[in-house]
Amino acid sequence: MTRAQRLLVGAGGAVVLAALIVAPISLGRYGLYVLSQWTVMTIAAIGLNLTLGYAGQVSLAQGAFVGIGAYAAAILTSHGYPLALAIVVALALSFVVGWLLGYPALRVQHHYLAFVTLAFSTLAFLVFRNEEWLTGGIYGISGVPRPTLFGFSTNKPLPFYYVCLSGLAIVTLAFWGLVRSPWGRAFLALRENPLRAASLGVDTRRYTLMAFAIGSALGGFAGALYAPLTQFIDPTPFTLALSLNLLMMVIIGGSGFFFGPFVGAMIAVLLPEWLRFADRYYLIFYAVLVMLLLIYSPSGVLGILDRYLRSRNARAASAMRASAQAGLSDEAVR
Amino acid sequence: MRMIAAAGLGLLALAFATSSRAQDIQIADVAELSGGGATVGTNWKNGIDLAVEEINAAGGILGHTIVVTHADSQSNPGVARAQVQKALDSNPYVLLGPGYSGSVKATAPLAADAGVTQIMGGEAAELTRMGDKFLFRTSFGQQSTMPKVAKYMADEMKAKAVAVVWVNNDFGKGGREAIEKALKDLGVEVVADISTEAGQVDFAADVEKVKASNADAAFVYLNEDESARILKEFKRQNVTVPLMGETTLVGQKVIELAGDAANGARAHVGLTTDAPVDAVHAFRDRFVKKYNYVPDHNGLKGYLAIQMVKAATEKMGKLDPKGIADALRGLTIKAADDPGILMDVSFDENGDIDREGFLVEVVDGKQVIKQILPKLH
Repeated sequence: MTRAQRLLVGAGGAVVLAALIVAPISLGRYGLYVLSQWTVMTIAAIGLNLTLGYAGQVSLAQGAFVGIGAYAAAILTSHGYPLALAIVVALALSFVVGWLLGYPALRVQHHYLAFVTLAFSTLAFLVFRNEEWLTGGIYGISGVPRPTLFGFSTNKPLPFYYVCLSGLAIVTLAFWGLVRSPWGRAFLALRENPLRAASLGVDTRRYTLMAFAIGSALGGFAGALYAPLTQFIDPTPFTLALSLNLLMMVIIGGSGFFFGPFVGAMIAVLLPEWLRFADRYYLIFYAVLVMLLLIYSPSGVLGILDRYLRSRNARAASAMRASAQAGLSDEAVR
Repeated sequence: MRMIAAAGLGLLALAFATSSRAQDIQIADVAELSGGGATVGTNWKNGIDLAVEEINAAGGILGHTIVVTHADSQSNPGVARAQVQKALDSNPYVLLGPGYSGSVKATAPLAADAGVTQIMGGEAAELTRMGDKFLFRTSFGQQSTMPKVAKYMADEMKAKAVAVVWVNNDFGKGGREAIEKALKDLGVEVVADISTEAGQVDFAADVEKVKASNADAAFVYLNEDESARILKEFKRQNVTVPLMGETTLVGQKVIELAGDAANGARAHVGLTTDAPVDAVHAFRDRFVKKYNYVPDHNGLKGYLAIQMVKAATEKMGKLDPKGIADALRGLTIKAADDPGILMDVSFDENGDIDREGFLVEVVDGKQVIKQILPKLH
């Protein structure tokens, strides 16, 4: 990236951030709720983007980790523990379970791995439903409290939106650091060519487990925000459907692109809401739009941007080559 | 120039449209129109639309036209909450739905906070025990049906040992807890407690368990399709233990699917299009004429929800969204005065409903009413 481009990205980021802070003030409770949902789903999708987009491990269990985080937060906060502690527990729990789930990934790949994680997803649902002493079973847990921070109650939609937004900001910064660190390079190496990565001294075993564990931990973090957001959880939102939805967010946004999950979650959470004017056809419209988009650009929305930038760079390069060539031939004539 | 004039006219028309709409009664419905509860929500929605159409054709409520907006909860409590929030932001006269008990739990606090009356389809016992003053049922809660069922099993079927077969979702589990408690209160022993899955196809093992338990009656509490499958399995294994159910076991769809195997099954039925009431039959015929299928009890619930709004508003004599909950509480609506309500109905302080119920037996593929259970109060 040139200096100018870097400045441009920085300025763009600042504008988006400012918009995310200021614009919601004028939104109604519904708009704030949907926007908060977007932040939560973005966090979960960022986690899956690490596992899938960066490290190349297909996981159909991200929804289950959102569930694990949500239940951890709901159970702890309704027993009077602060949300901050609940978030730490949700992160730790999802990290450990994610690490363990990573072991099968050392032996199987691609759709076989998808099946293993699918089974885990179903297992998690059964635990949420059947371990009634802990999770409240099919009745779920109602009245999940929202936290009080520095003496301010976040019970109202706007303050709680800022809680979610701060969560997203922290995750974004941490993730930015991670993918630029040697770890991030190692994850990419793992995706591109595991054999070569191993021959270059990357401990593929450890990084595969890490990719699962960190990705899952972010799912847990998202869950820990989801519970106080809806203030009611039961097992039904955390079925395979959520895992598939998160997978779609990552792919449609642009798997392996840093901002892919942001765009993907926007499409998955906000687009159906915008399409509701179409009444009972809205889900059909939504499905058709998503399919058309993926046919047009299998690498997601950011893939379109990427293609555009690449072709522009290529054109600029060839223009430069052409003018250089012209300069040379001019000299030859002279 | 012509464009500007057209735009101006359009704006003017819009202004008129909104000013005339201000007099309408805006009702918001949030229901399971897609996902696992699509049958529930679609029946509920169609029932609502039919009632609205009929009432508007007859001049509306106190002369005001009803306008209903439907929103899809995707059978997901999180989405339901978003849609209810959206509905509440537009200050509706009344909120209708959702039908799933979990979604009701996720949304009821929002409606109560906004002071908007919520008329919903959930049947889980605890919904009306949360101290919510704005929440009303459209059908019996399990806590009021199951004692009647237990009493019938103890007194009429002379059951001493009962096997309970239930479907493991919030509907089935709530019913199972209520019936087991009611049976124990009457000194009846529960000798088998058999959990099944929604969508289950093979009931051989479950029927085997009922047989092995030596129960002298079985209580079967499953959704319609599964009820038909288990009835067939009872017949196949030649298990003749008397079967008792609640609403679903003797539904019209179950009888069609199970054929002969349904004969002899008995159930308590609170709200069904098969109820031996002329007004209910007439409702069914109107519904079939409009939508081309026979509704289940959710269709009736949606229809009655609108009728409840009408009765409560007419009782107040004015459009007062804040007063509806008060007007409904303790209200008795008589079918003689208000034919739309189909059967006499009362509401108590908690928002629970009370109306006549029926004990039905399937004889030669037809529902036969064995007993009419009077209202509790």
